[in-house]
Amino acid sequence: MAARVRVLGLGNEILADDALGILAARELARLFPPAEVEVIESSQSGLHLLDYVTGVDRLVVIDTVQTSRAAPGEILVVREEDVRSAPGTAAHGTGLFDALALARQLGFPVPDDVVILAVEAADCLTLGGPMHPAVAAALPQVVAKARALIRNPR
Amino acid sequence: MPEPTTTRTITIDPITRLEGHGKIDIFLDDAGVVERAYFQVPELRGFEKFAQGRPAEDMPQITSRICGVCPTAHHMAATKALDDLYKVTPAPAGRKIRELVYSTFMVEDHSLHFYFLGGPDFVVGPTAPAAERNVLGVIAKVGVDVGKKVIAMRRRLRELTSLAAGKAGHPVFGLPGGVAKRLTAADQERFKTVAAEAVEFAQFTLQVFDDIVLKNSDYVNLILADFFTHRTYYMGLVDAQNQVNFYDGMLRVVAPEGQEAVKFAPNKYLDYIAERVEPWSYMKFCYLKTPGWQGFTDGAESGVYSVAPLARLNVADRMATPLAQQAYQKYVATLGKPVHHTLANHWARVIELLYAAERMQELANDPEIIDPNVRTLPTAKPTEGVGVVEAPRGTLIHHYQTDERGIITKANLIVATQNNAARIAMSVEKAAKGLISGKQVNEGLLNMVEMAFRAYDPCLGCATHSLPGSMPLSVRVRGRNGVTLSTLDRDADGKIRRA
Repeated sequence: MAARVRVLGLGNEILADDALGILAARELARLFPPAEVEVIESSQSGLHLLDYVTGVDRLVVIDTVQTSRAAPGEILVVREEDVRSAPGTAAHGTGLFDALALARQLGFPVPDDVVILAVEAADCLTLGGPMHPAVAAALPQVVAKARALIRNPR
Repeated sequence: MPEPTTTRTITIDPITRLEGHGKIDIFLDDAGVVERAYFQVPELRGFEKFAQGRPAEDMPQITSRICGVCPTAHHMAATKALDDLYKVTPAPAGRKIRELVYSTFMVEDHSLHFYFLGGPDFVVGPTAPAAERNVLGVIAKVGVDVGKKVIAMRRRLRELTSLAAGKAGHPVFGLPGGVAKRLTAADQERFKTVAAEAVEFAQFTLQVFDDIVLKNSDYVNLILADFFTHRTYYMGLVDAQNQVNFYDGMLRVVAPEGQEAVKFAPNKYLDYIAERVEPWSYMKFCYLKTPGWQGFTDGAESGVYSVAPLARLNVADRMATPLAQQAYQKYVATLGKPVHHTLANHWARVIELLYAAERMQELANDPEIIDPNVRTLPTAKPTEGVGVVEAPRGTLIHHYQTDERGIITKANLIVATQNNAARIAMSVEKAAKGLISGKQVNEGLLNMVEMAFRAYDPCLGCATHSLPGSMPLSVRVRGRNGVTLSTLDRDADGKIRRA
């Protein structure tokens, strides 16, 4: 049986660049049949992500970040183990990594393979705001990278 | 000629464990004494422009997307604003279903907060090593079984919300005059079962709080510490008997000495509350028009007020349900009233958790909750509407003005954190002044400053799910000319690096 893969697009459609994760998820939902890849969009945060991080073999997360150290639209690929030494002290507190760490500690089935496509955003705070051109332009590349990650597990 | 005084700046950015980003700047003088401390948060922008031109009826659906933490609170405030806009009184069953869903949401949010957001400070402990003050540390302290219990409770609560309101993360059931969907007798049975479990769970949680916090004199002393105390006004919704109510009622304000200062219908809020901006923050700071803005200071002459669990328990005369009332009496007997200790928010939150569970049970057992008539159709011409609820983090206000077709012409939004902003700023500064002196600023002291902030559980902007993009904590010491003199970084594993 093929590994169960889930794409989790995080973001908020009504908050400028933050729409990116949602838009990418929608695009991927068109590219893969649901039986092959489960695609979830969520605007939820913190431990609410617990619902989406268990019960699959592989998880591909797409989200925006604001590191201020990269140009808008720049894509960063992060593996969970890159930050696994840091359960619970992540900057946003109860974020994705906490949800993963908590699920693992409580003995829930958590994928070993968690990869995050993080896209540098310029603005995630303007309601109804436009996307930065460079962030909008990154969408096809984000989708292509996600597609490659789905097709080619390491 | 005397040397010019230089000011050093300590920046804590971002604050760990909050939903969103935050930043604290602490200005030290040459002797290492705190001159001023500021907290800065990125705030959502553009609500008014975003709302203009949209049909008001779309707002409950859209605004539930504003915040990834409390979609139900925005959905409900927007729905109530539509009731007021169309001058329609919701059908009794519709109103009860709304409050039932809202109570379910409050049980979920308050439990998550107590165990996983406040827990690192209070369950694990303020002086525990940074590497343990996290979700995993909480589980290590309370045990895996309790952790599983919290998560299982949450799942059952969310299943019910989905059943009655659409997706738990994106409720869609509120309509002007009621709700979109009735509850069946089978639905009611499910609510009854889970509500009974929720009451038991809340009692259990109160016991955990009692055992871990109240039986530890160090924690109790911390709650009572002067640097976590402000004598401000408080505001919150109360019912006709001045009991805490999350869903509806009058906004009551009590003075620092505890007497009622004013009580008003929520749609009159602009007569009593004003907002101001400060040059150092994007945030709008709310204050009471009477006595008016006197700066970041407490006392009866200052218009600074606060909201959230501590404030709600201060503005109420009692709790509306029996078990919560017992817990409330113990709280008041221990801390007096009004309670001015910021960290008592954690205790107040657990009492509210019990109230929310009991209220959920009352409504689940109400025969009228399955009445199929869940909506009164609005017929009035729309002009203006205000909707207010008590979000987990405090009073939330949605206000819309429309043309005669119901298209929004003007909109205003006040979120809980804006109501609390002035007091949060004061808390950060007072904690910094009370705790930091001399040039040695260690990580433990900075955590105590952050604790003052975290007790309010402020929503910081609402772009809350973004992944961490920088170090969990970085402190910058700068001279007045902006040159960085040294940096202090707290790594993700809790280790401190100096440069």
